[in-house]
Amino acid sequence: MYNVSLPWWAWVMMGVGLAVFVGFIILSVRRNHGVKRSLFASPYTLWMIIFTVVPCILVAYYAFTDANGAFTLDNFRHFWDSNHAKNELYATMGDEYAGYITRGTVNVDTLVYSLWMAFLCTVICLLLGYPAALFMADRNMKIGATIVVLFIIPMWMNFLLRTIAWMSLLEDNGLINSFLRLLGFEGVQLMYNSSAVLLGMVYNFLPFMVFPIYTSLSKLDPKLGEAAQDLGCNEWRTFTRVTAPLSLPGVISGITMVFMPSVTTFFIPRILGGGNTMMFGDLIESKFLTEGNWNVGSALSMIMMILILLSLGILRKADPEGEGGGIA
Amino acid sequence: MMEQEHLIDLSNISKDYDGTTVLSNINLYVRKKEFVTLLGPSGCGKTTTLRIIGGFEYPTTGTVYFEGQDVTALPPYKRQVNTVFQKYALFPHLNVRDNIAFGLNVKNHKIGKANMQRALFGKKTEGNQLQKLSRKEIDKKVDRMLELVNLKGYGKRSVDQLSGGQQQRIAIARALVNEPEVLLLDEPLGALDLKLRKEMQLELKSMQQQLGITFIYVTHDQEEALTMSDTVVVMRDGHILQIGDPKRIYDEPANAFVADFIGESNILRGTMVEDELVNFCGVNFPCVDSGFGENVPVDVVVRPEDIMIVGEDIGQLTGTVQSVLFKGVHYEMMIDTGDTVLKVHSTVMQPQGSRVGINIVPYNIHIMKPMDDVKSEEEAEESV
Repeated sequence: MYNVSLPWWAWVMMGVGLAVFVGFIILSVRRNHGVKRSLFASPYTLWMIIFTVVPCILVAYYAFTDANGAFTLDNFRHFWDSNHAKNELYATMGDEYAGYITRGTVNVDTLVYSLWMAFLCTVICLLLGYPAALFMADRNMKIGATIVVLFIIPMWMNFLLRTIAWMSLLEDNGLINSFLRLLGFEGVQLMYNSSAVLLGMVYNFLPFMVFPIYTSLSKLDPKLGEAAQDLGCNEWRTFTRVTAPLSLPGVISGITMVFMPSVTTFFIPRILGGGNTMMFGDLIESKFLTEGNWNVGSALSMIMMILILLSLGILRKADPEGEGGGIA
Repeated sequence: MMEQEHLIDLSNISKDYDGTTVLSNINLYVRKKEFVTLLGPSGCGKTTTLRIIGGFEYPTTGTVYFEGQDVTALPPYKRQVNTVFQKYALFPHLNVRDNIAFGLNVKNHKIGKANMQRALFGKKTEGNQLQKLSRKEIDKKVDRMLELVNLKGYGKRSVDQLSGGQQQRIAIARALVNEPEVLLLDEPLGALDLKLRKEMQLELKSMQQQLGITFIYVTHDQEEALTMSDTVVVMRDGHILQIGDPKRIYDEPANAFVADFIGESNILRGTMVEDELVNFCGVNFPCVDSGFGENVPVDVVVRPEDIMIVGEDIGQLTGTVQSVLFKGVHYEMMIDTGDTVLKVHSTVMQPQGSRVGINIVPYNIHIMKPMDDVKSEEEAEESV
């Protein structure tokens, strides 16, 4: 038997949650003389409140306060002006040092780099994923189902494990380099650069691109393709005029599902980039865990969240019905 | 020559799917401006035949000729036929106008490409120098089509907003705007309610006559086939059983299956006593058929409306009315003659349980070879 020991407040929280849930049921049964279906969502609502809404409020609270809990916007200024401390020092040293004051933008650079990497990753995933999805959804290809399984199997493995596996392939003494040396070539530096990070990202996020597209393609009525051919389209024109526009919802949801985790990636750059590359996720992590500066970390998180909400809003516009079945 | 009149010729077409024969040795020709209906129960191969003409399936063996040219291997986009699909297959991402203009836009695109190739490389492409349609011309054609299908002013609507009947019309307009030589229709009225169906049947028929386009129409509804067609092709299990104009198919079915499928009928086992005399239900009936031989088993087909109810004393046969159903125009009565139960249609009702006499005039008795024989004979000669 495991020893289940939870702190006292956890028990209280669970008790309160249960009481609210039961109370909810009793109330609504009384009022409507029957059980409302939305009632069954209440545990989930409770969960969302405790673990999503409350943390968001906390993040906002930390972002707008300083270490003493007083209201400030410094944390956001810090994002733009990352050489904050240095500049303050110059400012106190008199006018002749005024020129040294710099708008240091380490944070902004990191953000731009993250967005650029996420963009590249999304584009590569789309270029690789669309043909794969097309192939998988083709009813005449008997092999399609096998490929679906091949895409799913790696997802059963842990994300960290998969990334570390790439390490053993790309290392200086890794599989690829050993093989090259065996053939008499010089070893190549494969790890600790942006390309390795990008490779890791594409590898990890590719399924999130493939599956929404696959879903929307396999929902497509094959009669539509026949209709296009009937009206004079050859295979390529059938694709550009019918298949591609109708799979757009899947593409949009694929882009969302790849782009968002890509921007916030923080483990892959550390493993495959070896500290030479830093992405926004790493920056936030280091603010919290290394520097212990929760206020600045929260401000950075908020900026990230706003960016993600904005991109979601844009994608919503493009796919108002959310047909792609993604998280958008 | 007859051959020159033929627009489409199917010659010895067979189709196998994974070893199952769907069509065996189909021979069929379609004349210009003809309304041909392929009629049969589901799984008889009528849709497959249509898809072979459209180019969506390739026959396992056999040849498809279009105006005498072999088009068997041509893909759909190179054929001068257009199709109205069973569930319409309208493009959901385009509005009504763009759906109808689809074919014209694609054609324009092709002409543009060919002209550009000619200009750039001096390349000789097939066909004459073609002029692209202007936007205005396309709009005009689309408007005319919308008018033809009575959907003027619907151009900007999304196709999801239309009712089944309206979608159906759009599908027809989308095919007809390309001015095809042949229009293929795969059970286009299957999803509509009875009243709308009847209206559309008449509309389709008048459209066909107005435009002078050949229609090849697939249906399992015998009434639809009889109402609209110039020629009906009755199919079953991948074989053609009979080809003929509706009246001939109805009045002189080739065998008991056709008789049963086309309209209601009483199919009885009988014996040909001698020429122009047949025995069924234990009574000898004079008839008009001959040449079967003497004392040969035959199938006898009598339409329910051809059976006359008379006084018990003067009938060739007598029986008891088993049940009476009111069907609108007529009553449907089941009359038990002791030997078999006959279905009779009459505007005069006989009360249930009453004794009646039955008369059948000679030319309403259709004699045909038993079904089992028909099949084996078909395998032997396989010609239309």
